[in-house]
Amino acid sequence: MMHHEQYRRAVLANPLGNDPELEAHRAHCEECRTFTGGVLAFEHRLVRALRVTTPYSARILPFGSRTAVRHAKGGRWLALAASTAIAFVVAAGIWLTPRSSLAADVVAHMAGEPAAWKGHAALSAGELAPVLKRANMTLDPKAPSVSYANSCDFRGQIVPHLVVQSPRGPVTVMVLIHESVSKASQFDEQGYRGTILPVPQHGSIAVLMKEPGTTAAEIDAIAAQVRSAIVWGSSRSVIER
Amino acid sequence: MTSILSTGFAGLTLDRVSAKQGRARFQALCLALRPDLLRFAFWLCHDHALAEDVVQESMLRAWKAQDSLEDEKAAKPWLVTIVRRELARTFERKRLNTVNIDDLVELEDTSLAAGDQTDLAEMRAAIFKLPQEYREPLVMQSLLGYSTAEIARELHLSQSAVLSRLFRARHQLRALCGEDMSEDPQE
Repeated sequence: MMHHEQYRRAVLANPLGNDPELEAHRAHCEECRTFTGGVLAFEHRLVRALRVTTPYSARILPFGSRTAVRHAKGGRWLALAASTAIAFVVAAGIWLTPRSSLAADVVAHMAGEPAAWKGHAALSAGELAPVLKRANMTLDPKAPSVSYANSCDFRGQIVPHLVVQSPRGPVTVMVLIHESVSKASQFDEQGYRGTILPVPQHGSIAVLMKEPGTTAAEIDAIAAQVRSAIVWGSSRSVIER
Repeated sequence: MTSILSTGFAGLTLDRVSAKQGRARFQALCLALRPDLLRFAFWLCHDHALAEDVVQESMLRAWKAQDSLEDEKAAKPWLVTIVRRELARTFERKRLNTVNIDDLVELEDTSLAAGDQTDLAEMRAAIFKLPQEYREPLVMQSLLGYSTAEIARELHLSQSAVLSRLFRARHQLRALCGEDMSEDPQE
């Protein structure tokens, strides 16, 4: 039988751990459940604190220029041709496939915030309101329950990152006010399936799940439900950093 | 360029993807992971500019060594290892001057607090006050989502040593942040 102290040491070492022995103790110990709640709230703040804003230059990779420099040793014209070709490929890639890179950034953001998927309990209105308010939005009372809400740095902008509980499992929603898309696009990357939907006058929303077996139609249905549950403020949404 | 792809980045061979696709895929991967790598480097060196330099140099090393990455899923720990080594090299090369930690926290706190909430700024100042040996595993776990086993592997420690450091890290952090610790176990 695990003691309170053992349990609390383990929780402080790994608040999001899912050891069955810890879960069994928690299920039978009211005091340790309360303690865990406090630790998880602290962890939430810690994760937010660690996610410092990165400069816009974080999106510029050094590969093209260095490759060109290295080639210059072998021949100026070859270097010029190579760097031009690389620049063209990169530029064309960025220009022609903006959605896939947006999806990749969303998925990468998920990977950097593992705490988001862990909780299942609905947040209180007090916990949710500051995140929504910062994006000048609210949620319809009939919206699915929200178990995680954070104002996250995404591509240099602060955006709402929510996890809502659906019958198919947790669904991540990122409200990408600064990312306009012309039409809906689906993606399937690194175990995440999702869709990015346009929201006229308010950029777009990304909706994704990591439940195996979820179909594209199911994700579309959930995304449409989430989009319709967002109630926008009277003015166009602007998030100050 | 053929050699880059013939070894099969992400298990894909030259038969299946073109050089262009391989390059684009590697770049997309680095682009997606770069913000967290910058944050990781920043929390280790306390310096935005140095973190950018280190990650930039690490990306170049990764680009040149991409043959050694066989599984795309392992890209994150692979890049983190490169960043750690580059940071260690930088510290060794520059023999950086030591500064009073309180002065550093004040400076960093001011820059970080801009446009952010006070409690986060306080938390960030407290994170800087943790010893490096506690801060690093904490950042790996809470920012990068590493498991205990992954941290142990990266830091060459036993898992119990990692858990002990993580406990102490949060214990000290809670104290620094003025949390109610009446129910906490003793260190």
